[in-house]
Amino acid sequence: MIDLATPEDPADGLAAVVALRRLAEQLEAAEVERAMRTGWSWPEVAEALGVTRQAVHKKHAKRLIAAGVELRRR
Amino acid sequence: MFNRFTKDARVIVRDAVEIAHELGATSVEAEHLLFAAARQRDPVAETLRWHGLDEDGLRHALDLERERSLAAVGISAARPAFAPHVSKPDFAHSSKAALEGALRAAAERKDTRIGTGHVVLGVLRARRGTVPRALGLVDIDQEELATAISAVT
Repeated sequence: MIDLATPEDPADGLAAVVALRRLAEQLEAAEVERAMRTGWSWPEVAEALGVTRQAVHKKHAKRLIAAGVELRRR
Repeated sequence: MFNRFTKDARVIVRDAVEIAHELGATSVEAEHLLFAAARQRDPVAETLRWHGLDEDGLRHALDLERERSLAAVGISAARPAFAPHVSKPDFAHSSKAALEGALRAAAERKDTRIGTGHVVLGVLRARRGTVPRALGLVDIDQEELATAISAVT
């Protein structure tokens, strides 16, 4: 079990929420990219993230195409 | 909203979008306006630098804030690297609030135009959130900085 510390000061706790949201966004960008670079398909990535194919495609396709990542269609 | 902004203030707003994009952010935050202000060559940027807030100083303060905030819940993580976003980041609440704060700062001083100083004063009006925490962590007195910026605005 992960022991998630409870900050004493609510300001620290709330700032942690902000930092975690940003980290999650950046981690998603990095990990979707890594998966697609290693040959995962959009449906596989979507299923792993628990979102629709359309959602993950809409969010990341342009960026990965611009970066020259070879994308599998399915 | 921007019709009363000076050319330089518009440059800051435009640069903030670029900076947010370069940093891989999905939205433009108040700290990106500060980065853009620090990048200019004017008395406002000079005052920021004098307080240690050149781009490196600002980055350091924000890194500390991020590190400390994540550590508060027991997390330590490097910044993930990824191919840049293609779409331009949107203005988040913090940057919108800062720009509204710039208008208020100008109104209080009875200034008709909004310059770069007003934008920085708008950012410095925030009492809570990433920027106040980051400045506090590098021992910058936000009120004193605002007074100094006001003096060159």
